[in-house]
Amino acid sequence: MIELIEKIEGEAKLDFSFTNDLIDYVKIEFLSARGIENILKNRPALDSLVINPRVCGICGHAHLIATVQALESCYEKIEISDKAKIIRELTLNFELIQNHLKWFYLVLIPFFGKKQDTKKALYSSSLMTKAIAVLAGQYPHNSYAIVGGITSSVTNGDFIKVRSLIDEAILFFQSNLVDANIEEFWECDSVEHIFEKEGDLVDILMYIIYSNLNDMGKSYDRFIAFGGNSYFKKGKSNKTVVSTNLKYEYIKEKLIDYSYAKNVYYKDKSYEVGPLARGMINKVPLIKDAHRKYGDSIFSRILARVCEIAQLLYHSKQLLSMCNIKEPSYIKPKIDIKNITANGIGYVEAARGSLIHKVDLVDGIIKDYTIITPTQWNLGSGTKDNLGIAQNAMVGLSSVDEAKLVFKSFDVCSVCTTH
Amino acid sequence: MKNPNGENKKIKILWLSGISCYGNIHSFFNYPHMEVFLEDFEFIYHPVLDSTFSLKEIVNETKECNILLIDGAISDDFHRADVNIKDIINRYATSVNRIVTVGTCATFGGIFKYSDFQSPRGLHFCGDELQTDFLHLRNKTISISGCPIQPEVLVNTLYEIKNQTDIKLDTFLRPKEYYAYTVHNGCTRNEYFEYKVDGHKFGELEGCLFYDHGCQAPYTAGSCNKILWNEQNSKTRSGSPCFGCTEYTFPKMSLYDTKKNMGIPQNLPLGVPKRAYLTIAGVTKAFSIQRLEKKLIDD
Repeated sequence: MIELIEKIEGEAKLDFSFTNDLIDYVKIEFLSARGIENILKNRPALDSLVINPRVCGICGHAHLIATVQALESCYEKIEISDKAKIIRELTLNFELIQNHLKWFYLVLIPFFGKKQDTKKALYSSSLMTKAIAVLAGQYPHNSYAIVGGITSSVTNGDFIKVRSLIDEAILFFQSNLVDANIEEFWECDSVEHIFEKEGDLVDILMYIIYSNLNDMGKSYDRFIAFGGNSYFKKGKSNKTVVSTNLKYEYIKEKLIDYSYAKNVYYKDKSYEVGPLARGMINKVPLIKDAHRKYGDSIFSRILARVCEIAQLLYHSKQLLSMCNIKEPSYIKPKIDIKNITANGIGYVEAARGSLIHKVDLVDGIIKDYTIITPTQWNLGSGTKDNLGIAQNAMVGLSSVDEAKLVFKSFDVCSVCTTH
Repeated sequence: MKNPNGENKKIKILWLSGISCYGNIHSFFNYPHMEVFLEDFEFIYHPVLDSTFSLKEIVNETKECNILLIDGAISDDFHRADVNIKDIINRYATSVNRIVTVGTCATFGGIFKYSDFQSPRGLHFCGDELQTDFLHLRNKTISISGCPIQPEVLVNTLYEIKNQTDIKLDTFLRPKEYYAYTVHNGCTRNEYFEYKVDGHKFGELEGCLFYDHGCQAPYTAGSCNKILWNEQNSKTRSGSPCFGCTEYTFPKMSLYDTKKNMGIPQNLPLGVPKRAYLTIAGVTKAFSIQRLEKKLIDD
């Protein structure tokens, strides 16, 4: 039985098969790919900073940051000021936050009998896209991260504006999603504490518990995150055992014959990426508690994604206060990129999970470019005896509607998956 | 519910995406008065927002609709919900009052004119080459180029269609109200350009990006420095070059370099002949304006 899934930044087909009224296999098919990696070939290295944000309209900034990191890693030695690093991290955080807000109010809540809340989604996400624009020029599709730093010179006034926008987003979170002080999320180690509160997130979580859906959507309980920064830790977690030694060599992309999305594996195994993976690897107390009680189910996945909004807002405020405006935004690299022949890799935590860019430069010209997106990890379509993460999470369910909810709990993005 | 103007009838829009990154959709979401907009307009289909019909219904049947928005490049072998995009366009094109190409991909092919699809292009142009297959639709088409579109430009144009305003268009069918400007208009670095103070470094408030960093603002049509992005800023104000994303040439090669012939930029400001440019440049370079040689804020 084939279902067309739409409103996922594109479309996909889910081909369900059933045994005894239960889903025993789902083939995930993405219908076209745009071939950005080929568009980049034989272009000068820096052009990728303009092309790559166009991989995706909702997480293009993550693609920009992954690109600049890949290019910078082609240098044996390159100096980037702390100020540029902090501002890049801030704009990336803001992109994650706007994504999660749109996902919650536009994609998720309709599954629970509510209408899309465009007003809340767009008011709150615009606060974050404005904050990016103050620092980076515009959102989406800026190219303000450049090899050696950032193009913008930020003033005190800009910082005040960004801080106000963060504070306004915090007020929105506290008065709409969970009526708790945002700092409480850093210490809160109990899901029950969230249940004592009110808010749009609490309503959804309660609904899941009362409708006995809290067991739904479990997969392999294996998580991975490649993009470490001042907040996210790099590592992989198998159930609750975390290790931090990750190697690019163990990542394999595999073509499948019926879909334009390539599968991706680490040591031949599927891993879940995204907010739940990050929460597990970062050992966020609240997420650990949810996982202890509800495993890697939609409950934990939804909670992790929405709570990441609170965590990133709080962390961004701290980052902003650490940023020294007097430092340079840009330090010109000692070697012009036109003279560089090397390979480079950039790892970034994007809204939906780990994003990896790999570039091969010959005299500053792109000879090869590989993009591995978060959704490839989560939405890979494997065989019956080696299911992908989302496939495994859908097997055993009794209805297509439930499966769609589980599928969309991974925050599906078709354009990223196929790029 | 009546909209603030007391009218009940909403204008019906179909948002159809071709080969796209969805950047136009998320840019549109930054429109600051969306609630009012959605009182006046109804999406019979939108790729993200709840809409009257499903994609399947839209592509297999012909629903009543006033304006067709096309976002993303078109190709002979691109399908939405298993239906060829050209067939979907043809089905709606005759009944709608206006067609709007949303963004540079739908207008000129954009970055996806270099993709592996079969002859990817915009609705009427591939680069600046006129395409013939939708020629009969030219009279109803308005192009809103930009990668992505400025939300206000799109929404204002939709209101102008609703109000049956006579919209003046340029040769690429873009509303002159927004594309008669260059991106250079309103740039906070204008004085550095005028007086040929070309010592720009990335990460600084000072300096013009035209001379060395590939900035295309003086010859790119667009309102980016007049209608600020996200109501805040622009690429050039924040120190990034304009990459000419509203033009048929986007994306050029070597986007961070200014191509020069014997030291003179190959592309001159729109409408400025080379000889005149050289004369003016000579005169303005003779000025030594200390104010522009110094940092704006730090001493």
